[in-house]
Amino acid sequence: MKILIIEDEVELAESIATYLTDENYRCEFAMDYQQALQKTEFHQYDCILLDLMLPGGDGMKILEKLKAENKADGLIIISAKNSLDDKIKGLQIGADDYLAKPFHLQELAARIYSVIRRRHFTNSNIIEEHELKIDLLAKTVYAKEEVVPLTKKELNLLLYFISNKNRVVSKNALAEHLSGDLADMMDNHDFIYAHIKNLKRKLTEADCGNYLKTVYGTGYKWEG
Amino acid sequence: MSKLLDKPFKVFTFYAFIVLLCSIPVYYLIIDFIWLKELDEHNHMVSQATQRNLKDLHINTNQLRESMVLWNKLHPETRIEETTAVSPDSTYNIYRQNRYTTSKGLDRFQGLVSTFTIGDKVYKITVETNVEETHETMLAITLVTVLFFIILLVGFVLLNKRIAAKLWRPFYQSLQKIKAFDLNSGTNLEFERSDIQEFEEMNNSISKLIDCNIAVYKQQKEFTENAAHELQTPLAVVQSKLDLMEQEENISPRQSVIINDMHKALSRVSRINKNLLLLAKIENRQFHDKETIVLADALNEVLELVADFAAGQELEILKTLDTTQTIEGNRILIEIMLTNLLMNAIRHNAGKSMIHVQVLKGQLQISNSGTQSLIKDKLFKRFSTASAYTPGSGLGLAIVREICNRYGWRISYDFSADRHIFTIDFGS
Repeated sequence: MKILIIEDEVELAESIATYLTDENYRCEFAMDYQQALQKTEFHQYDCILLDLMLPGGDGMKILEKLKAENKADGLIIISAKNSLDDKIKGLQIGADDYLAKPFHLQELAARIYSVIRRRHFTNSNIIEEHELKIDLLAKTVYAKEEVVPLTKKELNLLLYFISNKNRVVSKNALAEHLSGDLADMMDNHDFIYAHIKNLKRKLTEADCGNYLKTVYGTGYKWEG
Repeated sequence: MSKLLDKPFKVFTFYAFIVLLCSIPVYYLIIDFIWLKELDEHNHMVSQATQRNLKDLHINTNQLRESMVLWNKLHPETRIEETTAVSPDSTYNIYRQNRYTTSKGLDRFQGLVSTFTIGDKVYKITVETNVEETHETMLAITLVTVLFFIILLVGFVLLNKRIAAKLWRPFYQSLQKIKAFDLNSGTNLEFERSDIQEFEEMNNSISKLIDCNIAVYKQQKEFTENAAHELQTPLAVVQSKLDLMEQEENISPRQSVIINDMHKALSRVSRINKNLLLLAKIENRQFHDKETIVLADALNEVLELVADFAAGQELEILKTLDTTQTIEGNRILIEIMLTNLLMNAIRHNAGKSMIHVQVLKGQLQISNSGTQSLIKDKLFKRFSTASAYTPGSGLGLAIVREICNRYGWRISYDFSADRHIFTIDFGS
């Protein structure tokens, strides 16, 4: 999978690339408007991460150009503005998602995963992971053909872990993923334990292996 | 408050009234003076003519006496009598009963008494003429004056309306435009050109003022965005580096605790930053879309979002919702307001207890358990964390108040029966 990171903040771009680079993702960079135009013109990407405020031009123009040329690349806006107008405008033009800075890399990975899955599979969208089969359209999880009765939140968590396979996911990132802006109003994230406990229990009851490991003091990790 | 044009109208009317009132006695005095002077002249002429005619008759004393009797009978307003001594002419003015039309009451007469001699006899001749009575003259003048006053008044009203409609039209038009002006639109007002210097100057001054305001407003907005960019990006860098650090193999338990603490502090910084920007945006009058929102529905949505947190604290949420209560405002702002209030109630409570959410007529009340009253004066101020427990961003309630202020709602805090009670009055 090829990903283009259009971001002028080198440190952030490198962090993203470091986190994403594994056997599946290959990252390329564009640091300014011109570079971004060149790269998007000559290459095809599975997902483009686009910062709206770029040296040399408005990021929104790149998005408009891509959509005008009917390029199939998935696109996620990562913006420091967090302005509703920008978000609506971006999504209307054709961005797949909008993520406000600062964000957890795990969150970004989950969004990229979701965008790529949506773009590559149109009619049926099934993720196979160990003995689990997740039907994204029907929002149902099967373990060895048996339905695992997960709640919306538990399914959400499961997908989040799978899209951050072999990565440590902190409680903080989980809380923000589950409740967005509300998470940082609470210093106590105990409610996550309940959901994770339930998820683990249901997976175990469905005779699924224990892939969700607790990393001491930090968070959780899905081993795949 | 009276209208601009009513002020001079009242003054003019009062002035006209005083002038006309004073004119009544003046008119009377002048008319009466002229009147009496003419009558004196007339009486004098009648008296002189009678005297001369009598002298020219050359008749003897007896004949004269008989003629005088006859004369006095025929001429009711003149009288000739014998008298003893010659005296200078004198005039008098009396009121007395008219001999012929008694029903009319008293009449006023101006009289002239002169003496003359025929032969060795002295005679006295009195000539009287009826004059208009004082009260009748006064009445007539007063009636005419009142009539003119009414004509003036009607004229003033009509003229005032005309002036208001024509002369002051540019002023009222400008006023209307200024009232309708919305800083959010970012466009200056276009005033109609006026050929009156003052109006033109006023319009130009207002245009300048508004231009200046729009420029400042734009600057502020830009500052908001720039501040967001400048702060969010380094925050994003730190966040991402921490996320990467977590991925390192061989992290000791001590290190992971440190990373966790850094995460917490970092999320607090980004929360404060986000809230400051939100405050700036509200103050800059952004979020200007308005809609009518059923308060109970909005509350239910937010309650669903915060349910996890309430459950985490083993809090029960009791709802008493009047589903007919609607409020008008920006949906995002109202959601933020409700979220902040509810999260506040969830965070600051005395152990496992109950949060009561009430929507009454024109009122929202959220109460939760507590041990002691919060400091009312400081509660809604920025960064004045009112309680030492659970450090918040110090901006949540400031944002709530800012949103309330914007829509003219009143928020108040009370502590009674070991409960913190926040009430928002939506007014009528």
